[in-house]
Amino acid sequence: MPNARLRYVARRIVQAIPILLAIIILNFCLLKLAPGDAVDVLAGEAGSATPEYMEQLRAKFGLDQPLPIQLANYVGRIAVGDFGYSFRHEMPVWDLIVDRLGPTMILMVTTIVLAVGLGILLGLLAAVNLNTWRDSLISVLALVSYATPLFWVGLMLIVVFSINLGWFPTSGMENVAAFNEGWDRVWDIAHHLVLPAITLSLFYLALYTRLMRASMLEQAGMDYVTTARAKGVTEGRITFKHVLRNALLPVVTMAGVQVSAMIGGSVIVETVFGWPGLGQLAFESLFARDLNLLLGIFFLSAVLVLVVNLLVDILYTFLDPRIELS
Amino acid sequence: MKTLLAAVGVAVGLAVTPVAAQESGGTLVMVVQPEPPNLAPYLSTSGPIGQVASKVYEGLITVGPDFKIMPGLAKSWEVSDDGLTITFHLQEGVKWHDGEPFTSADVQYGIMDVLREIHPRGGSTLKVIESVDTPDDMTAVFHLAEPAPYLMVALNGYESPIVAKHLFEGGNPRENETANKPIGTGPFKFVEWKKGQYVRFDKNEDYWQDGKPYLDRIVVRFIADAATRTAAVESEEVQYGAFGAVPYFDVERLSQLPYIDVTTEGYGYIAPIMQVQFNTEVKPFDDPKVRQAIAYALDRQFVIDNIWFGFGKPATGPISSLFKPTGLYTDEVIDFTVDDRMEKAAALLDEAGYPVGSDGVRFTVTHDITPYGEEWSRLGEYVKQALGQLDIAVDLRYEDVATWLKRVYTDYDYQFSSNFLYGLPDPVLGVHRQFHSNQIRPGTVFVNGMKWSSPRTDELMDAATTETDPEKRAALYKEFQQLVVEASPIVFMHEMEFVTVYNDMVKNLESTGPLGVYTNFADVWMEQ
Repeated sequence: MPNARLRYVARRIVQAIPILLAIIILNFCLLKLAPGDAVDVLAGEAGSATPEYMEQLRAKFGLDQPLPIQLANYVGRIAVGDFGYSFRHEMPVWDLIVDRLGPTMILMVTTIVLAVGLGILLGLLAAVNLNTWRDSLISVLALVSYATPLFWVGLMLIVVFSINLGWFPTSGMENVAAFNEGWDRVWDIAHHLVLPAITLSLFYLALYTRLMRASMLEQAGMDYVTTARAKGVTEGRITFKHVLRNALLPVVTMAGVQVSAMIGGSVIVETVFGWPGLGQLAFESLFARDLNLLLGIFFLSAVLVLVVNLLVDILYTFLDPRIELS
Repeated sequence: MKTLLAAVGVAVGLAVTPVAAQESGGTLVMVVQPEPPNLAPYLSTSGPIGQVASKVYEGLITVGPDFKIMPGLAKSWEVSDDGLTITFHLQEGVKWHDGEPFTSADVQYGIMDVLREIHPRGGSTLKVIESVDTPDDMTAVFHLAEPAPYLMVALNGYESPIVAKHLFEGGNPRENETANKPIGTGPFKFVEWKKGQYVRFDKNEDYWQDGKPYLDRIVVRFIADAATRTAAVESEEVQYGAFGAVPYFDVERLSQLPYIDVTTEGYGYIAPIMQVQFNTEVKPFDDPKVRQAIAYALDRQFVIDNIWFGFGKPATGPISSLFKPTGLYTDEVIDFTVDDRMEKAAALLDEAGYPVGSDGVRFTVTHDITPYGEEWSRLGEYVKQALGQLDIAVDLRYEDVATWLKRVYTDYDYQFSSNFLYGLPDPVLGVHRQFHSNQIRPGTVFVNGMKWSSPRTDELMDAATTETDPEKRAALYKEFQQLVVEASPIVFMHEMEFVTVYNDMVKNLESTGPLGVYTNFADVWMEQ
């Protein structure tokens, strides 16, 4: 079995290469459709620039070349692991992305753990206590948090917990005037993480709660449950040993899809809380037409999607041994 | 201007500051929006770059109240009678942040090889400098091609930052690694930049002005969301924010708080004017009568009160009234704010051959909204409504910055749009670019996007560029303003006021003069 798994992983990786290539080309072409380029934006922000200056910049950025050549250059560089240079930031794209990857991961992992963990728990609770006040309460809460815009939740949390109560900082990832080291810094970051993680989790939490509840109820009506019950298996055992395992599958699928969407979805939360993540960087570079940087981020997201999907497929085989890797 | 040129700087430093009980120490946390892409003010004149990098880089002079030229890296200077030679005497004992001494060679190299070559405005502003001589380490002599009354004021640290020759020589200045790790002579040393979070500067212990700076540290934070910036100021996590870091609609509420102060001072250097500009080559705006009619129809005070929350002052023409002290401003132009302006506008449209048609509409035009935020969208809606009263149908179009810039300044594929341009401290620097026929340059942003010019106004601008007699110069600009307002290629709406919001523990901000947040903050101190 481990061997089969390894072979499966290797095959998936090989299959991923043409997909990645297609993604790069598609992204490149899509982004080139937008009028204006990085030089227009730079000059626009500067408030002035001579035509010679702008021509010089275009030549330096390689924007004066025909599109197919620009694309070929880009693919060629990516193939050797060179993500290119962001002329806007005067820095290599890879350095910029790595800088932001940490904060994004902290926020994403916390959010996923919170959302998936609590979501499964609440969904389970609601399903087990079907049609009681617990179920109603959880369902209403899920509905409300699903329907509330993220930025509004974020701002309200800031108003209540930062300005009125003073418990948490309004924004940022750490206290920039303090320059903490070691555990102080970890504690400081955790402190700053509370509000953004709650804000971003709420939406997904609602989603997983509802999904888990529905999935549990669906499984509870299946023949194998009736069979188990007829054989005298206890309700607790039916719920945890049989129903839960099967009910988890759609939730895991959903979580797998959303991990990748979260980079984009976190733009709002990163903006509201001044969290220095990739979402905001992508957002800014889109408006700045910073193509190299944007393509770098897209490429990384694409890789992330492929990796997470692979992990989800492997996780399936643990949850349900009947699923085979082939 | 001649008096400014002839002025000989005295003593070291900004002697205007009344001596108060400055206290040393403290960390100033300021917020800058948006985050600058890099910290290379010699590469870009972008506002956020200037706000941050000005703490590190300095210029030969600095600009005091009423546009007075004050000593910076140059302690004094003399201008020859023909206006063609300026001799700068540099401050003694100035060191770069890496320990190397600052000399006239840096001035020569910085001006001739860096600013003139790669600075976006340097090519035109400093073009008049033919060479810089360095008779000794502490003297730099500028040789000019023609008298340039606008030059001195442009030599400040924001507009013309002096960079270190030893760090740039032999490489491409565009690829210098100081772009993200600036090294200057200023009161604050760059320590680190966490992209997306903050830039940290520490006090320069070897600063050439003894006892300065007063602050131990400046941390510049970046927060993308306006409401969160307001919250950070309110919760005292941030003590200073300029250039609308706090949106206009929050300013009134914040100013009620006992520990928050608000000022619109410190923007004189850039003198921005909000405008509605026409493409004068397309119908119906190729007719000056139609343009004048629009100028009558738009209610300047209404826009200031209701869209800009009362911040601003009606504009009369291309030159801001902030130039009154220099004598270059006149209000003897057509007044579009008369009581019967709507009747006048309707009459002009009839005269121009655009009567109300059978469908109740004179003509339909598309207005491109400037993609710089909420106010501009509201302005677009107001334009639609105001012109609707004249039976003009207006369609609104909203695009992102890059698309809008290309539409207006490259393709000229628009009818009319809103905009704001910095007047800068001399009309040669900020005003000529919008009205001279040599500024109709496709692909160059914030120049003559109206495609309007006249031989007479070109002549007036050319003469004013080299005229060193202040009275003659004022007369040239008076005629210029009258002609431009009459032709109305632009509706000059209002002189914009930006707002600085700060915690009252921050002291001595008035010392920053018209450059405001673009100064080096050597004199700013905090109550401990």
